[in-house]
Amino acid sequence: MTAGPAAVRGSAGEVHMSRLLTLAFAVALVATACTSPQTTPSASASAAPTATAAAITRGGTAIVAIWQEPSTLAPMYGNQTVLGLVINGTVEGLADTTTDGAYVPTLATRVPDVANGGVVVKGDKMDVTWDLKPGIKWSDGDPLTSADIKYTWELWLKDPKVNTRTGFDQIESIDLPTELTAVLHYKTIYAPYPLNFSSILPKHLLEKEADVSKTDYVRRPLGTGPFKITDFKAGDSITLEKNPNYRGAPERPYLDKIIFKSVPSSQVALAQLQAGEVHAMWNLTEAQTPDVEKTTGLSLQVVPGPTVERIEMNTAVNKEFTDPNSVHPVLGDIAVRKALLYATPKQQLVDKLLFGKAKPGASPVSQGWAAYREPQEGYDPAKANKALDDAGWAKGSDGIRAKGGVRASLTYTTTTGDQLRERVQQVLVDEWKAVGIEVKIQNQPSAVFLAGSCSAKDPRKLGTYDIDMYASTPSIDPHTTMLRYNSKRIPTQADCAGENYTRFKNPTADAAIEAAGATLDLEKRKASYATALKALNDAYVIIWLYDRANIDARLDALQGWQPNVWRRFTWNMQDWWMKK
Amino acid sequence: MGRYVVRRLIQALPILLAISVASFAIMKAMPGGPLAAYEGNPDFTEADRLRLEHAFGLDQPLPLQYISWLGSFVRLDWGYSFSSHQPVLALIGERLPNTLYLMGTVFVVVLLFAIPIGVMTAVKQYSVFDHVVTGTTFAFLSTPTFWLGLLLIILFGLQLRWLPLGGMQTLGAPFDLGDRLRHLILPVATIALVQMGSHVRYLRASMLETIGQDYMRTARAKGLQERVVVLRHALKNASIPLVTVIALDMPELFVGALVTEQIFGWPGMGRLFWDSATRADYPILQGILAVSSSLIVLANLVADVAYGYLDPRIRYS
Repeated sequence: MTAGPAAVRGSAGEVHMSRLLTLAFAVALVATACTSPQTTPSASASAAPTATAAAITRGGTAIVAIWQEPSTLAPMYGNQTVLGLVINGTVEGLADTTTDGAYVPTLATRVPDVANGGVVVKGDKMDVTWDLKPGIKWSDGDPLTSADIKYTWELWLKDPKVNTRTGFDQIESIDLPTELTAVLHYKTIYAPYPLNFSSILPKHLLEKEADVSKTDYVRRPLGTGPFKITDFKAGDSITLEKNPNYRGAPERPYLDKIIFKSVPSSQVALAQLQAGEVHAMWNLTEAQTPDVEKTTGLSLQVVPGPTVERIEMNTAVNKEFTDPNSVHPVLGDIAVRKALLYATPKQQLVDKLLFGKAKPGASPVSQGWAAYREPQEGYDPAKANKALDDAGWAKGSDGIRAKGGVRASLTYTTTTGDQLRERVQQVLVDEWKAVGIEVKIQNQPSAVFLAGSCSAKDPRKLGTYDIDMYASTPSIDPHTTMLRYNSKRIPTQADCAGENYTRFKNPTADAAIEAAGATLDLEKRKASYATALKALNDAYVIIWLYDRANIDARLDALQGWQPNVWRRFTWNMQDWWMKK
Repeated sequence: MGRYVVRRLIQALPILLAISVASFAIMKAMPGGPLAAYEGNPDFTEADRLRLEHAFGLDQPLPLQYISWLGSFVRLDWGYSFSSHQPVLALIGERLPNTLYLMGTVFVVVLLFAIPIGVMTAVKQYSVFDHVVTGTTFAFLSTPTFWLGLLLIILFGLQLRWLPLGGMQTLGAPFDLGDRLRHLILPVATIALVQMGSHVRYLRASMLETIGQDYMRTARAKGLQERVVVLRHALKNASIPLVTVIALDMPELFVGALVTEQIFGWPGMGRLFWDSATRADYPILQGILAVSSSLIVLANLVADVAYGYLDPRIRYS
């Protein structure tokens, strides 16, 4: 919903209390599971039966537990995943994404492209024409017009506190030929334009405000969606009521109210779901899924997500502001990097630690129109040993290999306090040791390890790591994600902006990534990204560990949920209904 | 007396200043920072980072950041939250009633139980009652609140299903006093059981000391009832240490209970502080810390002044 708030799992603020609570609640949940006699698996655990229209009941309130509280509900300021979750039913954009990654119009009549004439390329610039559906009203009754589109752009460029101006800064000017038509003049060929305006702001409400961030809008954003936000109790709850001016009214929405209840952790959320205090909960860990599966009356919704957990290997020397052209004494050898991949049992990690709720990874772009799913070579320790033997890494008396006096000893960094990651590390340290590579765990708080800036000493930016592990979530348009693998995006002391943390340098990949960004033809872009990703995988600098699923749970009585890879489970709240 | 209070207040200023410098320095030394949360957003660019750093004043030298905060703080402009952009005073204002409601109840409950129990254990020293109370208070004193809170949730919330698992009221239902009270029971019990232990111990110790005094024998010799002897003569003199403990509890009414509020999802000051700390939301943290340190200094003064009332032999100089 927002301009791409894709938060990294386990990033700052998500871990904190949960660790303390995990243990005690694990005890609690086991205890409740033991005492409740009905532990037969729920019949509707995976696929809820689609109800016939006649059976749908109207009215009622659904309570959804969220264990991270959005500090703001303004799409231009916030940056939390949970923000998009809460305003999904309120703030709408011009277009959105189907679960397959296709663009569909929301407030617009169609998604403009070159074929339908909505996009006109003029040399190295382009014009995009959006037409609004007629008759759409804001929930306060005022009409939605093309002036709102222009205002959205203006505010994003004017307000210093907005999250990111990416995309908006590519627009030179906007013309409004009619009340319903906006023509956007882009300065460049900006390929991710379809979702640039994924949140439209109400001009009539905000234009007279000197500082929108200090208005009530940030707590009760005015939107065009099926629900309007009527109450925001900080630290407690956010209440949505049905919007009588919604274009789908009075057929939709079915529910009268949806309340997002702020709870301290996912363990508490699950406990409240089991106790029936809430009807649904956001974001379960894989380890919590067996509890839900064996509780009668609860359903899981497991949707593959774009989030990919990866292991990156630093090819440059491990030191502060490392020279991108230096060669790591151990990982500089492709044989070692290959061996680490061959000795990584992805499937076993998925089955044992992720309860089968994830998929072995293949690339950073696992979903959508640009998905690249050519798998990396599988688990084969014999092959790992052979690769190392052939490259001259000989085993010493302690079983650790060395070559030319350099011991195959590496550090392995991820976020502290993340149970799942710690378990993955334990497995991999053993596996890698078995092929003669010694790996020492050197974790850091997510506020440092994932800080994303040189000033905050992010080791990935500085180059002060050997092996790292974290997740990141691409937008449906992989443009910015793919820039990470351009050699121009290697962070250095002079320019710390890039995210090419492995210091991967490949002219073919650079050319393909740049070519993909300069065309609007999705097929051509997809082919270019595939070229770049093949070059990346052939360099063995990243192990794509697993594609993480989005897992949410609900009481069986709450009906109408549909999966959407890109939009979290609240994307169709107008279709939810409560079985009596 | 009046001069004493004024002098103490003036003395407090450098202390408060030093506390605010130290808390500012510790906050800034925390890893990460308010912009770390944006890292996962693939569209967030270096230009965005620099713009936000400037908007939040984070690009200024640290001493300057502190001085400008202090300058606005004394003018009652406590700044704006980095994450919600709301005024810090307003954010504190919406949480404070909830914390006062929780901690005020705790305060009353603790005194209601601790004073009679403390007196009884002293009067009936080495009785079965005394031993049971002593054992129980030590047990609760050594129980961490997060553990006790979870235990209570598991027992009364999950197992017996008698009480709600958290929050302040049942969502989506109209206001109901009974419902409010039911939500209050577990968090209050969690804090009160732990806090009560120290109060009972202090009161018991000082009561035992007082009961052995000569004037107690005199009071009894005058033919006063035992009730009057214990309550009027012993308790008043024995309550001086308790007053210190109670006075030092006062800031908690404002600060709230960090762990308990977190466990029970209570929308109070403790939770605001916790959430702000995880987000490195400096203006909120700095505001809460400044107020709580002032309250602690003030509470100490209140305790000292109260001594004088309870024991006229104490002179202020």
